[in-house]
This record gives sequence, structure tokens and C-alpha cells, in this order.
Amino acid sequence: MNSRERVLAAIQHQEPDGLPVDMGATPSSGISAIAYYNFKQYLGLHTGHTRVYDVVQQLAQPEDEFIQRFGIAAVDIGRTFNESDEHWYDITLPDGVPVQFPVWFHPVQQSNGVWDAYAPDGTRIATMPPGATFFDETVFPYIDGYPADFSDLTSCMPLVHWAGLAHSPWDHASEPDFWQQLRQRAISLRQTTDRALVVVAGCNLFEWGTFLRRIDNFLIDLVADPAGVERLLDALMEVHLATLEKVCHAVGDVVDVLRFGDDLGTDQGPFMSPLIYRKLFKPRHTILNDYVKKHSQMHTFLHSCGSIYKLMPDLIEAGYEIINPVQITSRDMQPEKLKQEFGRDITFWGGGCDTRHILNRGTTQQVMDHVRQNIEILAPGGGFVFNTVHNILPDVPPENIKAMFQAIDEYR
Amino acid sequence: MDAKTQEIFNAVLDGNAPGAQAAVKAALDEGLDPASLLNEGMIAAMREVGKRFEEGDYYVPEMLIAARAMQSGLALLKPYLKNAGVKPAGRVAIGTVKGDLHDIGKNLVGMMLEGGGFEVIDLGTDVAPEKFVEVVAQGQVQLIGLSALLTTTMSNMKTTIDALKAAGVREQVKIIIGGAPVTEDYAVKIGADGFSSDASRAVAVAQSLLEVG
Repeated sequence: MNSRERVLAAIQHQEPDGLPVDMGATPSSGISAIAYYNFKQYLGLHTGHTRVYDVVQQLAQPEDEFIQRFGIAAVDIGRTFNESDEHWYDITLPDGVPVQFPVWFHPVQQSNGVWDAYAPDGTRIATMPPGATFFDETVFPYIDGYPADFSDLTSCMPLVHWAGLAHSPWDHASEPDFWQQLRQRAISLRQTTDRALVVVAGCNLFEWGTFLRRIDNFLIDLVADPAGVERLLDALMEVHLATLEKVCHAVGDVVDVLRFGDDLGTDQGPFMSPLIYRKLFKPRHTILNDYVKKHSQMHTFLHSCGSIYKLMPDLIEAGYEIINPVQITSRDMQPEKLKQEFGRDITFWGGGCDTRHILNRGTTQQVMDHVRQNIEILAPGGGFVFNTVHNILPDVPPENIKAMFQAIDEYR
Repeated sequence: MDAKTQEIFNAVLDGNAPGAQAAVKAALDEGLDPASLLNEGMIAAMREVGKRFEEGDYYVPEMLIAARAMQSGLALLKPYLKNAGVKPAGRVAIGTVKGDLHDIGKNLVGMMLEGGGFEVIDLGTDVAPEKFVEVVAQGQVQLIGLSALLTTTMSNMKTTIDALKAAGVREQVKIIIGGAPVTEDYAVKIGADGFSSDASRAVAVAQSLLEVG
């Protein structure tokens, strides 16, 4: 089996001949630029670049040599854009790490050390205080309430930093030949790699509510103004279905996995009751899944942080085939329990290594034991693509990343 | 519980802000004791909200609207409490630590502490250790609550506690910490007095540390 076949076998709940591993195929299964640079230095890899392809989360685009060396089984088709030196410029991060930013991204450091990022019209849309390692949202377009109609929705969305500072390929989405380019580049990547291809198309619903209204307001809306929420969700669905139509048309026969996003969980449980999820979100999540399955060969993947155990049966019914990042430290999210109850129905793309306590603060031995234990629980019978629980943050020591790969290698 | 206090209790529990205001106004018009409206109506209702949250019957939205209902009723009640000389259970300053802008958890803790009868001074987000030192040195609070969402910023909880020690004011306050990556072990390790895994339990921790409630 090659890497792609291993990923596809895992999704089809067949045990591949070796463990498929992801690092960097999505912006929730990747590695921060600082951690990536430190790891390369530790390995004695002094060539190449640390390119920050997701500027909001300050994530590195793993280089070809890195993907090869660590046997990464899936890649984001966004990596086919910004492929040459002219798309990047050198910059040193506040802690001294030399990286490259995309040429369109020019945050400004204020005299108090805060970094601010701006939309093309000059609106300050994101900020990063000293000591932080990613940008946070500053503009909440509907903070004062829902408009009478949503005719301004597509002009409000880029004021939210996730959209306004989008990672590749979406930083090219306004170019006239973008969709043809996306198709050509995906086909070319398909021909030159035996890895599974992923396209990231968030189509978030709950999260867009929190981006537009701010999270506290939107959470209140869920119970105090469900009609307003439904109007917003319907407007978002129009935007998302138009995007999906183009994505499926462009790469639906080329790409293997379409990655949706919608963070539905806190550490202690879902943000909302299953009843509210079923009423407001599940029908729309089902439509998104159905569309992709009807119009492409792609498997659907949901990124949702937190404790979503109580929602899992509904997420499976809504049609998601893959769940990430499998936050095993949250309530009710023990890997044994998840595998036993849902392992036949959904693929776990994550849950391989806790990044909150173990990978960042454990010893190398603790990392290896923990990784082995999770693989032995999650991998049998397929339905598992190894990935850390969310991105590897700057606080992770390089020796622990190496230890993680050493343990992984025992299962390849 | 008399009918009017029960109305307040029910309105808060249901997250009905206009209902809570109307019930408080009616109870005050009847001349009922403001302290008992606070304790038996509002604080008791928020205790029930916390219990339902811990048991998985309530989620964050229900908790938020209950807190909002309590706040709207409390705004009417406050002048009467002041006149009657009713003191808060304690004064608490809360904030997210330096480098951390994520405040939904901190805000929930603040609301639940208010729901527990505490007066809350919200220092906001990205709060420098010096700011916590300043507030403690002024002697205005008995407790501070430090919040962090990120593994990369939680170390500033220790920095803050160290700054309080260096300023010689550490012993003037109790310190509780919380946030996604924070654990009981970490609280012990950095010398905090208490930890809570969620907003509801934070109230019980605060009450225990200040020996109230």
C-alpha cells in the first residue's frame, strides 16, 4: 500500500498495512512555525524555509523533504500555491525565530509590542499581544445584532480574520482563474505524490455565528433568539453551498478528503445541548455532507475541538466520515470509549498524542508510552489516521516530537 | 420561600431577564427584605444553575441567560442592598493572564461568582502581573482569579504569583486559577490556592477559600 491507499483503507475501516500519519494536511493537524523551526534545528536540517502558511495560527507549511522523511501520508492541496520564493519574505518572529510570511501579510508591531494585522481597506482585523503566538479576532461584524437582511454577509465575512487572512489556497481565491488553477495544481500534485490529498473548506456554521456575533452573544442567541440564528445560518448555507459547488466541480474527482470545521465542544461538554444541535445545526451539516457525497468522490472530515461525545451519534448521522482532533483529554473523550462506541462508524484523525500535557511537558519516555498506548487502542480494524490532538504549539520540545515519531515508526 | 422570592428564583433559573426584573420590583414594592431576595431568590437560583450545569442538564447558553437575568434583577436590587448595609460575600478581581486574549471562560467565572454573591472586578484580558499586584496592594480584593486558555500563556500564572510574592502582597489574597490546560497539579505546583475545572465549581472553591457561603 502507498500512503494514499493507507489513508483510504483507514477511512473505509480496513486495517492498512502500516499506520497512516498526518502532520500539516489541515490547519488543525499541523505544527507551529516556531516548533517546526526548532525541530529542524534539532535534527540538523539547516536548509529550506519555515514558511508561515496559516498566518492566524502561525503554522508552518511542512516542506517536501520533511513530509518524505517522516512519512506523512496526507497533504493539503493549498501547498501547491505560493510555491516559489517570490511569494514569501523573510521576517524574524518576536522570539528570534527566522521565518517567512506570505508577501500579502504585513502585520505592524506597535510601540507596546502588540502586533496588529489589517484588511486591505485598513481595518484592524487581528491582534497578537506580546507573549502570544497567534492572532485573535478584533472585528465582530454583527455584534450589535442581526441585520434585517444578510445582503452584506459576504462583505462582512472578510472582516473576520479567519477569512480576511485566509491560508492557501484561499489567499488566491479572488484571482480570476483561481478555480482552474486549483484544479490544475491538484491534478499535478496527484500525479507527483502518492499521498492522500486534502482540501480545506471550513463551511463552519456555529463558528461563523461566534465570529460574527462574538461567542457570548451567539451562545445566548441559541436559546434566546433561535429565529435570528436560523436566518443567519440560512444565509451562511447559501455562501457555503456556492463554495462547495465550486470545490466539488474543481477538485471533487481529484482530492480524497474535504475538511470541514465547526468547533462544537468545550472541555466539559458540547457548547450546546444535543437538542439544540439537532434543531439548528444537524439538518444543515447533513445538507453539506450530502452535497459533497453526491457531487464528488471526497470523504467528509469534521474538525471539532472539545468534548463532543454527546454529539457523536448525531455527527455520524449527519454524514461525517472523519472526526478531528479527537481531544482525548476532554470529558467523556477517552480513546477506549470512543473507539468502542463509534469506531465502526467514523474515522479518528487525531487523538494520537495529547499536546496539552504530554507532548509539551512529558519526558521522551512518557511521550513514547502514551503514543503507543493510543495507537494500540485506536488503530485496530482501521478507522484511525495518526495525528496529535490539534496543532503542535511552540512549547513542544523537539526531542519529544522525535520520540513521538520513533513510537509511530513501530507501527508502520 | 414566599411566592415573590420563588418568582425571582424561577425567572433567573429560566434565564428570563424581564421576568426577573418584574419579580424583583414587585417584591421590593411589597417591602420584602432585599437580603433574602438576593440570597433565597437569586443566589439560590444560580446555585441550581451551577448544579444543572455540572450534571449536564444545562449548557453554557442556559448558564449565560440565567446570569444575564440575575444581573438585570440585581441592578434593581443593589441600591436597596446598599441601604440595608448588605455586604458582598467577598471581592474578587479576575483577568486572563498576560498574552492571553481568550475571555469566555473568565467571563463565565465572573458571572457565576456574581451569582454566588461576590463582587467582581473584571480586569479584562492580557492582564500584566503588575496590574494584579496593584489591585491587591490597594487592599480592595480578598481573592484573585487567573485564567489562561493556552499552554503557551499559562506560565504567566506563575509569573503573576511570583510578582505578588516579590511585591510582598501574596499573603493578602487567595488565588484561584482555571482555563483549558490548567490542572489541580499545576495549581499546586505554582503555589495557587485553588483550581476549578469550570465556572460553576469556581464558586464553591472561592466560598471555601474565603470561608463564606
